[in-house]
Amino acid sequence: MPGFDFSNFNRNAALHARGVPLPKATSTGTTIVGCIYDNGVVIAADTRATSGPIVADKNCEKLHYIAPKIWCAGAGTAADTEFTTALISSNVELHSLSTGRDPRVITCMTMLKQHLFRYQGHIGAYLVVAGVDPTGVGLYTVHAHGSTDKLPYVTMGSGSLAAMSVFESTWQPDLDKEGAIALCSEAIKAGIFNDLGSGSNVDVCVIEKDKPTQLLRNYEKPNERGQKERNYRFPRGTTAWLNQKIISKEDMKKYVTVETLSGDDSLAEKMEVDS
Amino acid sequence: MVAPHGVTGMLGEDGIHVDMQHLKSGEVNLVPVQPGMAINFKDGVILGADSRTTTGAYIANRVTDKLTQVHDTIWCCRSGSAADTQAVADIVSYHLNMYGVTNNEAPSTQVAASLFQELCYENKEMLSAGIIIAGYDPRHGGQVFSIPLGGSLHKQSFAIGGSGSTYIYGYTDAHWREQMTEEEGIDFVRNALQEAIKWDGSSGGVIRLVVLTKKGAVRHLYLPDNGYTGPGVTN
Amino acid sequence: MTSIGTGYDLSNSVFSPDGRNFQVEYAVKAVENGGTAVGIRCKDGVVLAVEKIITSKLLKPGANKRIATVDRHVGIVSAGLVPDGRHFVSRARDEASSWRGVYKAPIPTNALANRLGGYVQAYTLYSSVRPFGVTAIVGGWDSEAELAVDGQVGQGPNSGAGGKVEGAEAGGPGLYMIEPSGLYWGYYGAATGKGRQAAKAELEKLDLSSGNLSLADGVKEAARIIYVAHEDSKDKEFELEMSWISSLDGPTKGRHEEVPKELREEAEKAAKRALEGDDDEEEEKGQAMEE
Repeated sequence: MPGFDFSNFNRNAALHARGVPLPKATSTGTTIVGCIYDNGVVIAADTRATSGPIVADKNCEKLHYIAPKIWCAGAGTAADTEFTTALISSNVELHSLSTGRDPRVITCMTMLKQHLFRYQGHIGAYLVVAGVDPTGVGLYTVHAHGSTDKLPYVTMGSGSLAAMSVFESTWQPDLDKEGAIALCSEAIKAGIFNDLGSGSNVDVCVIEKDKPTQLLRNYEKPNERGQKERNYRFPRGTTAWLNQKIISKEDMKKYVTVETLSGDDSLAEKMEVDS
Repeated sequence: MVAPHGVTGMLGEDGIHVDMQHLKSGEVNLVPVQPGMAINFKDGVILGADSRTTTGAYIANRVTDKLTQVHDTIWCCRSGSAADTQAVADIVSYHLNMYGVTNNEAPSTQVAASLFQELCYENKEMLSAGIIIAGYDPRHGGQVFSIPLGGSLHKQSFAIGGSGSTYIYGYTDAHWREQMTEEEGIDFVRNALQEAIKWDGSSGGVIRLVVLTKKGAVRHLYLPDNGYTGPGVTN
Repeated sequence: MTSIGTGYDLSNSVFSPDGRNFQVEYAVKAVENGGTAVGIRCKDGVVLAVEKIITSKLLKPGANKRIATVDRHVGIVSAGLVPDGRHFVSRARDEASSWRGVYKAPIPTNALANRLGGYVQAYTLYSSVRPFGVTAIVGGWDSEAELAVDGQVGQGPNSGAGGKVEGAEAGGPGLYMIEPSGLYWGYYGAATGKGRQAAKAELEKLDLSSGNLSLADGVKEAARIIYVAHEDSKDKEFELEMSWISSLDGPTKGRHEEVPKELREEAEKAAKRALEGDDDEEEEKGQAMEE
């Protein structure tokens, strides 16, 4: 019978019903934040990448370039944030070229949400989009299923609760650039120290009207590995031995069969390995 | 972080039973299954909603704007999945604006309602969206339509929706009058929403209103700080 | 090119050096030979009428309709190539039905005219097709009532919607004429086909722009105008076909229908009488024709 074969679906459903868990996607526990101030916007991220319980990268980059004055912080499935931002960055540049205007944050946000909505959440990208454009300052969150929010300060990722607690207790409406950077950095540190999925350093990106965008890579390094108190390298000869015996190649033939292989393939094929 | 797809199943004697949970589990950002409403009054319509958006037990946004403009004086109140309702509202907004320029005439509320219904009904399997549409045009006056989960279309004198609405069926039924003045209408909506917020755990934040009359759209905001008494008009 | 002509008339989508599309102009010629068709936009409805030259005694009177209903509230009459007219009507029906599919409401007459204009225009662009050999008159009545969305449940407040503006624009008659180029305008009175010049002269006398002509009078005038327009080809017999669309409280309740036989015959009688009054000298001749 021609047609699609759905038997694997039933098999998977049956396995699932018997308690076999679904395969886990690789994802990054993350803290990302963003905050607007009088003349621009700041986004920040931690730098830990995880795969299951393992820290896969202690100093990864989670701040993604979209356009010179639009940047994105990504949480969720690492590959998805990487490729989605790269794709939208490319399309935003083409759009900017064809319209002859500077790209807008809301354009980028709309492209992202429409892309993610089309994939119904299967692209696991959770993003903070920020930037300045001719209409002013923009700051949005975009969830994997395609919903968006527009707020003066935002947090996302597994550390978002810790980071939000910092914003909710210390944010004020009339922040300047330095205040916004300090606040975002503080929020990321709350994630780094209180969330298992987040850690290592703080990356910050400052986007301001009429100024070049600053990417402050490792703006803070609260987890530098300190100088070890002691050295665990052992000097040569530390281990004592009772005797020494040197066996020559000829003597070895007494204990094992030694064959010297030539470059001849036919000989190699005849060998039985691990039979 | 990454949620498993929302499928659960069980193996019974008569085969495998698979049930799709309609709401995708995990990170799905559920706007308000919380209260939103719209009413007819003497000079037009009033829409109202709370401002809470939740993901599970976490409030993802405490000042959400669920009252979405799809044309000059046609607005909607979204409830259900945030992603789904935003996508649907964006599509309808696009079509209404196209209608406006190609036909050289603003679309009526009926046109908006049928576009919403078409999308919600034809894609009912994929959507979790409950939408209330309210609009004003000089010919038809103010009108309120409601589209619940299955995609049916109901013309109503007032509509309430979302999880919080169960708490205010009694209030709205007892206090509803046709042909209220603007002030009476605003009080009706505000008091009903205040009641919903009080009793429903997943409702909260500020109360937003939009008043639609021949004068256009006017936004109102009421904050919990002062017991939802102000500041009132914001534009 | 060959020795005959300039070559600019051989294909659609080719302009002549002075900016004309000959294929379209030839299509207009086809229209100019067709039976006269008129439409009158009255204050409480629209009338459509067409002169059908009887080409054979074997044709059954009243059987071969030339006015078509496109949707409940819209009718189309055309002059020119009859099969082109039928295809045009078929497209109009598709447009009306697709509008209903999307908007759950009848298509406004102006929107239908706009879509049909676009459709006809497309047939002037490609070398693989020829332009429509018809000029069509589209008449419709846009309901003045509050329209429900098809399939909606409930009616809203018992006291009606609040905030309605007195005298806000709401429905009414619509009359449009679409030419082979795709050009269309809205008219008070429209005429096309062989007798269009005479018909237009008569329409202009009616002072339609003041909006005083009633639908009942419009029916009589339409019949008379077709008879006047037929004067130039008296040697041929013809049959008059008429349809109308009234307001919701009028005789057709907003629907496009054929004018009832009795009414049509009455209008025809009046038309003949008016013609006799016009030229007493030709009385005998005229009478002979009318039999």
